[in-house]
Amino acid sequence: MSHSHKLVIKSSMSRPPPPPPTTNKDQQHQNPSLQEINIKLIQSGEKERLKELLRERLLECGWIDEMKALCRAFTRKKGRNNVTVDDLVHVISPKGRASVPNSMKAELLQRIRAFLASTAD
Amino acid sequence: MSSKINGHVSPQPCPHLLVFRSRNGPKPFRALQDCIRVKPPGGRAAIRREPTEVPRCGTCEESSRSRLYACVACAAVFCHAPLLHSHASDHSLSIPGHEIAVDVDRAELFCCACGDQVYDRDFDAAVVLAQTVNATATTSTSGSTAMQCSVAGSQPENLRKRRRVDYRPWEPDSGEHISRGNQSIPLLDATNASLVSSTQQPWGFRGLNNLGNTCFMNSILQALLHTPPLRNYFLGDRHNRYYCQQKNGAINGTKNSRLCLACDMDALFSAVFSGDRTPYSPAKFLYSWWQHAANLASYEQQDAHEFFISMLEGIHEKVEKDKRKSQSPAGSGDCCIAHRVFSGILRSDVMCMVCGFTSTTYDPCVDISLDLEPNQGGSGKSSSAKSLNSFNFEADCMRPNQNCGISTLKGCLERFTRAEKLGSDQKLFCQKCQVRQESLKQMSIRKLPLVSCFHVKRFEHSSIRKMSRKVDRYLQFPFSLDMAPYLSSSILRSRFGNRIFPFDGDEQDASNDLSTEFELFAVVTHSGRLDAGHYVTYLRLSNQWYKCDDAWITQVNESIVRAAQGYMMFYVQKVLYYKESENQGTS
Repeated sequence: MSHSHKLVIKSSMSRPPPPPPTTNKDQQHQNPSLQEINIKLIQSGEKERLKELLRERLLECGWIDEMKALCRAFTRKKGRNNVTVDDLVHVISPKGRASVPNSMKAELLQRIRAFLASTAD
Repeated sequence: MSSKINGHVSPQPCPHLLVFRSRNGPKPFRALQDCIRVKPPGGRAAIRREPTEVPRCGTCEESSRSRLYACVACAAVFCHAPLLHSHASDHSLSIPGHEIAVDVDRAELFCCACGDQVYDRDFDAAVVLAQTVNATATTSTSGSTAMQCSVAGSQPENLRKRRRVDYRPWEPDSGEHISRGNQSIPLLDATNASLVSSTQQPWGFRGLNNLGNTCFMNSILQALLHTPPLRNYFLGDRHNRYYCQQKNGAINGTKNSRLCLACDMDALFSAVFSGDRTPYSPAKFLYSWWQHAANLASYEQQDAHEFFISMLEGIHEKVEKDKRKSQSPAGSGDCCIAHRVFSGILRSDVMCMVCGFTSTTYDPCVDISLDLEPNQGGSGKSSSAKSLNSFNFEADCMRPNQNCGISTLKGCLERFTRAEKLGSDQKLFCQKCQVRQESLKQMSIRKLPLVSCFHVKRFEHSSIRKMSRKVDRYLQFPFSLDMAPYLSSSILRSRFGNRIFPFDGDEQDASNDLSTEFELFAVVTHSGRLDAGHYVTYLRLSNQWYKCDDAWITQVNESIVRAAQGYMMFYVQKVLYYKESENQGTS
């Protein structure tokens, strides 16, 4: 359930200020798209490492246990046979996203920035 | 929706999966198994057609979606986010027979029509096999691929390599075999039960070394170590100190172990119930407690009761922060194990002697502090607090429970719950009269705790006279105690007669829920003077009494205990008190 790539765009707390407007040509080099970043992360294996790190952190701080408990509570209420994976994802996603500690977001963002800087052309 | 096949519970397939199987044979995911790729760092299985494939949605071309599914029928990959857009669902709806897909990052089968995970025995077995094979391969090969090199180089500090290993039942190695034979005895063996009980002390007995006037701590710890619900809680691993430390160390970002008295208790239980009979030094515990109760940190003798209270507070404080259960009502005991075991609720009725208006308040309590009877024959001190039996003046002259002048615990409880006229200097505000009036106050027990702790006020501190003294008077206490007469329901009935009470509809619950019978299991005694005394605890296990005097634990006769000077008495609900009897037939 890790949304590590989403931290770069969707997390409003740690969102960097928008870059100054440039021509299309410049933009290609200065501001890699989410797609490009994602592909770089995947191909180098960094995305997998980041996912692993995130899993570790979320486990340590009890986030995973919290989500499990939410799922259990929901399942108990609806009945085991009336719950689908999509239901659970829908139910816990808002709370899950909101309860990721800011320190964790910052740490991962820092890692991604460092990675991008180290692999910049 | 599960059925048992060969004793294994497996979820029922959805109709789409059934149709899929009927069209593609019994093992429709055979081809998919070749696409199982396991990434070394965590040993997780993913689905990739080529090892370097970067999956992206065939419709929107996005590779950054959090859920991507590959259709098992045509291998096309689509994203799935049911609320925003699900190109996977679109695909499954557009072509019949293409409902079954596989999560490319988790290697889990999914039905896009049902929106739910589905299972296939063979496919899941193949995934497990792939992960197992990979785990053993990574550890044994020394070859370095580009992936492994970069992993080794940039691993974060806390990242552990998770190894997936096949389950193998534990067998003791040669060393363990030997130590098992030498130092262990069967816990409960019919043949040697009597031998064990007569020659050896029961489980969990270990002397506590005195670290410098710490008998006040040792005595309370021995009582707590054998408080049945508390013992069960910690021995049942309900507070795991390793997990607790790790969780709290990580949150702060430091590796320093934070103060947690519950963790120290857990460590103490582990040490005392380890089977090791040598005396144990609770130094770490003492140090932790000093940090918690800074004002009491010294090598001077402390009050055992004060230590008891501060300990419960310490356990409550820490656990409350963790669980964020500060919302639970006071006295319910939902907040922490300390309160779950010891917390009861006291009821206080204050009646205005002019208009009769009664105000009732409830307060949680973890113990009951009792005054010893004033000297027989009346003393000057008690003239202002005339005792009345149920608001009835005559009863003062006739006390049916008078027992030749010996103070008893029951007598103390009786006095505790007796209606007491507050002195003219203690007038309380009456809501009806709107002025301070002389009042009658009566205490009773609204809810009994699992463990009742009675504290005898033997130490009198007078700040006015700047002196303290100890009351040595003997107090008789029973081994079995029925608390029914001191419950609010009983007290009210004696006040108003046997009738339905208009207030507090659930007054009955207090006495109906749990029994009112208690059994004594620990007595903390004090001998000597106020400034130079010694605490000793007597423990009762299966009708056998043991004296815990710091590092020495010895079996003693019950008469010794009866004659001892009780300072704190611990009673547990009879249903929680295990009485190992010689003949197993009786219960």
